[in-house]
Amino acid sequence: MGLKPVTTPDAETVTIELSLDGETVQAKEGVSLYDVIASTGKIVPAMCYHYTFDPFGSCGMCLVIQEGKKAPVRSCTAKATAGMVIRTEGEDLFLARKKGVEKHLSVHPLDCPVCDADGHCELQDMAFQHGVTQLDNAKQKNIPEDTRSLVLDFNMNRCIACGECINICKDVQRIDALQFMKKGGFNQVVAKGDQTLDCEFCGDCLAVCPVGAITNKYSKYAYKPWQLKKTTTTCNYCGDGCQIYIETKDTEVVRVTSPLSWKNKWGDRTDTVNGHDGLCVRGRFGFQYIDSSARLKTPLVKTDSGLQETPWIDALDLAAGRLAYVKAQFGAQAIAGLITARCSNEDLYVFQKFMRHAIGTNHVDSSARYGHINFVRALTHTVGVTRTMNTSEEINKAKAILIVGANITETNPVASLRVKAALSVYKAQTIVVDSAQTNIAKLASHPIMVNPGTEGVYVQGLVKSVIEQDLIDEETTGIYPQALAALKQAANEVSLETVSTLTGVDIDQIHETAKIFAEASRSVIICGEGVLRQFGGYHHMLNLVDLAWLTGKLDRKGCGINTYTEEANEQGALDMGVAPEFLPGQMPFEDTAAREKIAQAWGGALPATGQGSHLMEILDRCRKREIKALYLVGENPLETLPASYDVKGALSHLEVLICQDPFLTETAKLAHVIFPVSTFAEKDGTVTNQEGKVQFLRPALDSLGESVLDWHVMAGIANGLGSPMGYDTTQDIQQEIRKVLPGYYNLGRPSPIEPQLGQYFGKDFDRSVGERYRLPRRTGNQRPFGLRLIQLIYHSGKLSTQASGLMLISPNTKSLRMGPEDMKNLGLNSGDRIRVTSDTGSLEMLVKEDVSLLPGSCAVPEHFNDPPVKDLMSLQVDPSTSVPYFKLVYVSIEKA
Amino acid sequence: MNNTMTSKKFFNAVLFREIWEAMKVTFRHMFHKPMTFQYPREKRTIPDAHRGALCLLRYDDGKERCVGCDLCEAACPSRCIKVISEEDKSLPLERYASEFFIDITKCVFCGYCVEACPVNALAMTKMYEFSTHDKRTLLFDKDRLYDIGDRHLADAKKYLYAHNLETEGDESRAYRYHFPDSIKTVQSSTE
Repeated sequence: MGLKPVTTPDAETVTIELSLDGETVQAKEGVSLYDVIASTGKIVPAMCYHYTFDPFGSCGMCLVIQEGKKAPVRSCTAKATAGMVIRTEGEDLFLARKKGVEKHLSVHPLDCPVCDADGHCELQDMAFQHGVTQLDNAKQKNIPEDTRSLVLDFNMNRCIACGECINICKDVQRIDALQFMKKGGFNQVVAKGDQTLDCEFCGDCLAVCPVGAITNKYSKYAYKPWQLKKTTTTCNYCGDGCQIYIETKDTEVVRVTSPLSWKNKWGDRTDTVNGHDGLCVRGRFGFQYIDSSARLKTPLVKTDSGLQETPWIDALDLAAGRLAYVKAQFGAQAIAGLITARCSNEDLYVFQKFMRHAIGTNHVDSSARYGHINFVRALTHTVGVTRTMNTSEEINKAKAILIVGANITETNPVASLRVKAALSVYKAQTIVVDSAQTNIAKLASHPIMVNPGTEGVYVQGLVKSVIEQDLIDEETTGIYPQALAALKQAANEVSLETVSTLTGVDIDQIHETAKIFAEASRSVIICGEGVLRQFGGYHHMLNLVDLAWLTGKLDRKGCGINTYTEEANEQGALDMGVAPEFLPGQMPFEDTAAREKIAQAWGGALPATGQGSHLMEILDRCRKREIKALYLVGENPLETLPASYDVKGALSHLEVLICQDPFLTETAKLAHVIFPVSTFAEKDGTVTNQEGKVQFLRPALDSLGESVLDWHVMAGIANGLGSPMGYDTTQDIQQEIRKVLPGYYNLGRPSPIEPQLGQYFGKDFDRSVGERYRLPRRTGNQRPFGLRLIQLIYHSGKLSTQASGLMLISPNTKSLRMGPEDMKNLGLNSGDRIRVTSDTGSLEMLVKEDVSLLPGSCAVPEHFNDPPVKDLMSLQVDPSTSVPYFKLVYVSIEKA
Repeated sequence: MNNTMTSKKFFNAVLFREIWEAMKVTFRHMFHKPMTFQYPREKRTIPDAHRGALCLLRYDDGKERCVGCDLCEAACPSRCIKVISEEDKSLPLERYASEFFIDITKCVFCGYCVEACPVNALAMTKMYEFSTHDKRTLLFDKDRLYDIGDRHLADAKKYLYAHNLETEGDESRAYRYHFPDSIKTVQSSTE
């Protein structure tokens, strides 16, 4: 078959020579002949070929003449061998290919006028190229359209049985939701078992379908491809930062497509280690919020009779006036600001400059505070690295992958494909530590199911096991013997028996996974919510650093620690310095040299050190009436934080609450002034993805109604405050960022990171190591079920609930997910009403069976606040990084 | 010489000779067929191939021909056509134009859209009288176009024949798209 990526990436392949149209060409052995032809730039038509999977050989178009063979051969399924003499052009080949097109067309309905693929159809192109005008013996298949699925319609009359949809689903997505089935005398593509299609709805099958056999229900018949304006931009849902094409017609978004398409079929399969260019369900089908009718169109101002539509000039004047009043009356320290990490780098930069320069306060924070800052703070503290350590290629080619508390297939579906490829194509050993049987755990070689919230404990167990089994890497640890001794001593506190009882995992399994991780030549760690957003997240991150260092996987090439972020620009938010502890470029706020540099660039002094407060402290201070004015940009703490934290009470004391958001959120309803702002599809700017790639946002539409870019509002208020920022365009801001952070705009090619171990392991190590090797004690009278707030693949934060397409796929079921065993024990059936009680509250909801959950745990998607399950959560704040932890609570459940 | 000229002038004036000359033409034309015609009361005979107002046509059973394929929009050189297509919710397979606009003020009457139409839903008629005081009424919408089509059906068909776009019988069906009858029956039998 075709180009199989060799399972050992280090192995060399033999180079062979063959003759192609009279020229000698070099190729790797075992490669498909078609790939060799394509690599020379020659285009041989092929309708069933796509570089991301093995050649299938069904279309019969890629015919070439091989010397010594009578009939033309299919080049895609033929292997290139040394000494082949191949001819790719000629009248005979043209006629043979034309016959192939005629064969397909004879059973293809000529319904191009009503087909969505009209103008973007490979069969149409081929018929045109080969001049097919007359068809003998044409017949119709007369297959009724399969419209059962929520998202995709299958019109099998148009299918040419190329199998691209099936292959991409099986080989790239590893979902295998489609199959061929012989029905009514024809081979048809159907969902597995001819059921209603119920998959992840990534839509890659739709992208690669060369004809109109698979169509998108959300934009069916609404367009012809040539009518649409195509804008390349970066998806705003998660930190993967996929490139997407937003296709618009006038002022509406018709569809979102991916660079992955049947049109981009030529490539080297080994290049997919950098991504296959496809999208996930959110990116492809969650676009409706962009031109939603729920968007805010004019500024709103709170009056006695409710929120009143107000002209921009008045609303800006009011906001600036109130801020000026608060600043004059109570000082700059009475003003604070929060911004969402979905904003562009330019918005984030202007925001922190506005707060620090125009206002003069260091009370700024972003939604990276909810977890990503644990990761960044731990890595900057230990190895001086400000982002994930590995590229997707390194993850793809790792020999062992340790995934801790990260449900990557749900939170970051496209990045998770690299892990899927690593474990299936490159045969990496995969250890998944999670408290539910996630999709990646089902595929993994070593799924480790732990009790809810004990992922961090398991990491401590791994460190202990590495020491016990003497898997320590002498080479790296030998340089810092003191640190090693300190770590060994600290780990003495941890007993594997306790780890085993706390996590519910056998000691043997801990030893086995530690061994796999330590002995692999290239091991990477991917951590997620289970570490970063559970109590003790910062310490558990440091534990992971210890583990990587002990086994020598910290500074070796191809090894490292990574995380995938939930929001699109969490990395950028920290890089732009939107945190009280950071200046732009993640320079420490206290650092004198850095302060001087920034102050010089801004032409003014920075706020004094030692005063900045982060998210939780800002809300606390609001409650204590120390902060009188709060500026929220896209942030919605009321719907994010549990009721026990009483955000509403905190916000009600404010003199002025300014919100800017595309939608009227619950928090915005409390605001005094609300500014309508653009979504990512209307912005120009950049976002930084989790790998550190700075990628462009390009406006696909004009801003809806009177809404403007986020930074326009900040600049407007700054004008009103009498300290204009002097930006006319986004490029002006980029100029300034370039000056402050030279080389930050890396055009998607981040420079490789270099971990520095000397400072931490040589000097600072033994001071704090003892703190993080203390196992939590299990209290006796704990409630029986661990309730977790989880993320679904179909949603991202609260934003996606505004996308009608995603709500159709995954509506709010208002139910608690429970494992079948627990349901049986409690005598519950799916759809029963139950009462869920935690220490902080109690509510009634429905129950639903979820086979992926283990006994003793239950889960609710965090995207919906109805019923308000988040209010059952108790909130704990990390002592080091102030990350609020509220994803897990213990509850008791009874039938209502 | 001068005298004769003067006397000739004098006689001409006395005898109203110029008027007689003029009247001669008038009287001659009394026996001619008229060159002009009395426009609003009398109308010119227009050839079948004439490119007049555009219209939308229905099949004989009253069903709209237009499938909303947007090809007319693509073919239009003056970009005066706007089609908004949708899926017919009652018949899940069928596409139709939910809205159809022709800005006749921009139309150059080239007839490309009629040529592009795969179902012969568009045709041109002999209707050319749509002058108005309100320019907005010159943005023909779907109702107006079907109305013109219904009232000038015979002319529209003649136009299509004259331009070799439609022929009688099955010949024209062979290359033109129709929603296959058989699919509809399969659809209804599975429901």
